[in-house]
Amino acid sequence: MKAEYVNPFYKATCDVFELMLSLHPKRSSLKAVEEMVNTKEASVVLGVTGDLKGIVIFSFPKDMALEMVKIMSGIEMDDIDGFVSSALGEVGNIISGNALTLLSKNNYKCDITPPQILVGTYKTFSTPNEKALLLSLSTEIGEFDISMLLKER
Amino acid sequence: MWKEKYKIGVELIDSQHKELFSRVYDFLSTMQSKGDWNDKLEKVKETMSFMQEYVVVHFNDEEAYQDKIGYPERDEHKKAHADFRATINRYVEIFNTQGFNEELVQEFGAKLMTWLIMHVGKADKKIGEYVESKGGETL
Repeated sequence: MKAEYVNPFYKATCDVFELMLSLHPKRSSLKAVEEMVNTKEASVVLGVTGDLKGIVIFSFPKDMALEMVKIMSGIEMDDIDGFVSSALGEVGNIISGNALTLLSKNNYKCDITPPQILVGTYKTFSTPNEKALLLSLSTEIGEFDISMLLKER
Repeated sequence: MWKEKYKIGVELIDSQHKELFSRVYDFLSTMQSKGDWNDKLEKVKETMSFMQEYVVVHFNDEEAYQDKIGYPERDEHKKAHADFRATINRYVEIFNTQGFNEELVQEFGAKLMTWLIMHVGKADKKIGEYVESKGGETL
């Protein structure tokens, strides 16, 4: 997978985090990984279709997920319930939508499939012989990962 | 839930936004409060219908304001309002036919909160920037 697909997701994540959460993610690492897996307790999984095909996973530690929803709602959250997981799904959806708008400027026309939320379960999504990219970002309230496996059609 | 950074600098719109955020906050607080779902159902329904009415009032006022100032992106903005109104109506329809299922109400609450933050923070902010570029709120 080409590293150039990473930047639109990174930029969209920074924009949306700033706007919705007043947080400023910084790159802490970017590496190629053999397996595409949700690395933390709360994950948003989105499919990409169109000129690029593949999968994007946002993985958040539990405490960070709860804090994100608290920042948006002003309400203390103590469990990843239906409200927290739907809110994370929406944030993932908005970031990916913005990333695809940026990709469309490079003439890649893509769509996203509705987010799937995984809580506390770990699942492998990799396809054989394909390396995925794992981007780790640190913020004021914790570190989270974006895993991507995107291929040109 | 309301933050100063959501202000767009147009008094009418800002005060309605504050009210809208406050109603959404009440709705979410009720929805997320401890206790049996059936016991809080009445309050959930009540805050939800308040909030629904207010969304319509606010969208109408905001659209009228955009017409008044000749805001160039008003058609696009109207479409965003119409799309979201349709989303609300779809959920209301589901709640009316299938009952106020807790998971679905929470899903609706999450969509409402995130949409509102993004829409006010991005699309509405642009109205404020336009007004500012035309010399402020006196036009």
